[in-house]
Amino acid sequence: MKRTSRSLGQTTGVKHISKGIRFLQLFENLGVPMLLVIILIIIAFIAPRFFIRTNLTNLLINSSILAVTGYGMTLALAREGLDLSVGSVQAFTACISASLLGVTNIPLTIIGTLLVGLLIGIINGLLISKLRVPPFVTTLGMMSIVRGAALLYTKGESVLITGHENYARLNSGRILGVPVPLIIALGTLAILYVMLRHTPFGRHICAVGGNESAAVATGLRIDRITIAVYGIVGMTAALSGVMLSAQLMIVDGTLGVGLELKAIAIAVLGGTSLSGGSGNLPGTLISALLLSTIGSALNILKVPAYYQYLTTGLLLIFALGLDTLRRILVNKIALRR
Amino acid sequence: MNKVVTTSKSDSDQPKKTIRQRLAYIFGQYTIQWLLLFAAIILSVINPNFRQFSNIRNILLQSSFIGIGAAGVTLVIINGGIDLSVAGIVGLCGVVLAMLVPKIGIAGAIIVTLILGLILGWINGVVVVRVRVPAFIATLGMMNIYLAIGFIITNAKVLPVTDKTFRALATKSFFGFPIPFLAMIVVYLICFVVLKYTFYGRFIRAVGSNQMASFIAGVSVDKVRIFAFMLVGFFTAVACVFLTGYLSHGQAIMAIGYELRVIAVAVVGGTSLKGGSGTLIGSFTGALFFTMISNSLNLLGVGAYWQYVAVGLIIITALGIESLRRRVLGIT
Repeated sequence: MKRTSRSLGQTTGVKHISKGIRFLQLFENLGVPMLLVIILIIIAFIAPRFFIRTNLTNLLINSSILAVTGYGMTLALAREGLDLSVGSVQAFTACISASLLGVTNIPLTIIGTLLVGLLIGIINGLLISKLRVPPFVTTLGMMSIVRGAALLYTKGESVLITGHENYARLNSGRILGVPVPLIIALGTLAILYVMLRHTPFGRHICAVGGNESAAVATGLRIDRITIAVYGIVGMTAALSGVMLSAQLMIVDGTLGVGLELKAIAIAVLGGTSLSGGSGNLPGTLISALLLSTIGSALNILKVPAYYQYLTTGLLLIFALGLDTLRRILVNKIALRR
Repeated sequence: MNKVVTTSKSDSDQPKKTIRQRLAYIFGQYTIQWLLLFAAIILSVINPNFRQFSNIRNILLQSSFIGIGAAGVTLVIINGGIDLSVAGIVGLCGVVLAMLVPKIGIAGAIIVTLILGLILGWINGVVVVRVRVPAFIATLGMMNIYLAIGFIITNAKVLPVTDKTFRALATKSFFGFPIPFLAMIVVYLICFVVLKYTFYGRFIRAVGSNQMASFIAGVSVDKVRIFAFMLVGFFTAVACVFLTGYLSHGQAIMAIGYELRVIAVAVVGGTSLKGGSGTLIGSFTGALFFTMISNSLNLLGVGAYWQYVAVGLIIITALGIESLRRRVLGIT
């Protein structure tokens, strides 16, 4: 596998990139969107009821909530780490936002909830960078701690959010016909995309994730970058917690179980490598749409819910298998020249 | 076993070491074992219920379900991989076992289950090694697929296992020790022998610490990696046999969350996720440690929710101590 990536690096250094490689690179960028279009066409034939307005709205809301968590995970993967605590953070912050609504207004609730997420993320970052506990273990521990905190905070009961029409509009409202959650997801995408692609900080994330010792040698402050990345991951998880609480209007400490693996799955499907150094945020959003589309279509076709496990699994293996095929082809073309 | 070979070598090269380094070495090398010992002593002193025979038997019994699974996962992590599919393997093997026990008898059902475990592990290995999907994603995907198959063949039903002899396997004792615990000891001995004395096993650690170097040295890296995944599949199936007997039912979601727990046990036991280093005795102790902590929290009347917090703190603290130790000793 290492040989493959090295010769791939060499080919990109070649000035004249052959048509074949260019086609394959295009395919890399368009692979998941194409899959989404193909699946939508198939759905149009076998389940036309999929395209009714309420279903599409629901689909967009669900995928927006998933995508927002996925963005943070994409950044963590670009930093060559990962965050397993996002599911628990989503549950905890959803509960926090529910109780904050009781004492203060909506903007302060959202800000307070995001700060809680930021705080948890910063603790993760501190443990990872200062104490040098591997990210997998730190966030696995934090996943357990925050889950416990969420259950303790709610005493294991459900919290009903009542009398906050405006808060519910965070979920059900529309601006120019576009559901608000989708606007939140697109807005977050825009901010994080610009940050990752067009700011020094974003380039530093990829630099540290791609080659940590080289980044140290160039004098980057790795610890700060790591803490900031995990802070952002915590904030995105908290944002998805706010969105989820606005969607459900009844929250408990058991929300978001298994979200961490889903978020990693959509980030990787979207083209972000587990080995760090790059992050594809738009890909994450599209993969979230893809997963939710399949789930929703299966629901409409009245396929038992557990078949969704099968589609998620097959999709992961299939997409990553295609990626391998692409790399092999790139190498073959490169060798022929 | 030979985690700190490099330090003991440098020990003989430069005998002058500060007292601080020596202390760190003595208490550091077996961090988790020391923790287990201290925790066990303190708990037996402060809580008379803890030191009762039946409670200790309980701890041994419960630690074996997670410990047997952790043995295989430790091997694959040492090999530089990871396996998140064990919950799926337990689920699928569990339902197959529960279906087969009434039909072809206990021995036949167990043999089929173990072979199924080997095959599932082999599939994981092929997907990771030959299709070259990163292990994390490949096994995550395979877990979903195994779970789905488990659901589909049972129609999402719970299959009860009523055979008394089969259930006795997981609940009865042999010379005072629960049978699953004895099985766990056997499993760890087998893993030890495999890692030390078999052809492929000896390369598991080598491939884990440097794949390229192993490849250049002529090790058939692919075969070794697939072998490691097959071992995980097999030992997970062993754990599944006892778990099914203990729960007396088979169900696809019978082991949800198992994958992260066994990895936590391996990691707390000192296995590095970067591959190449890790000990079986560490995972063995780790399994006992985790079970003992949650058992004693139960006895002390700590609520289930606080236990989540405690377990998380323990994971982070154990690894924090480990990384401090490495920094004090100057191991990077």
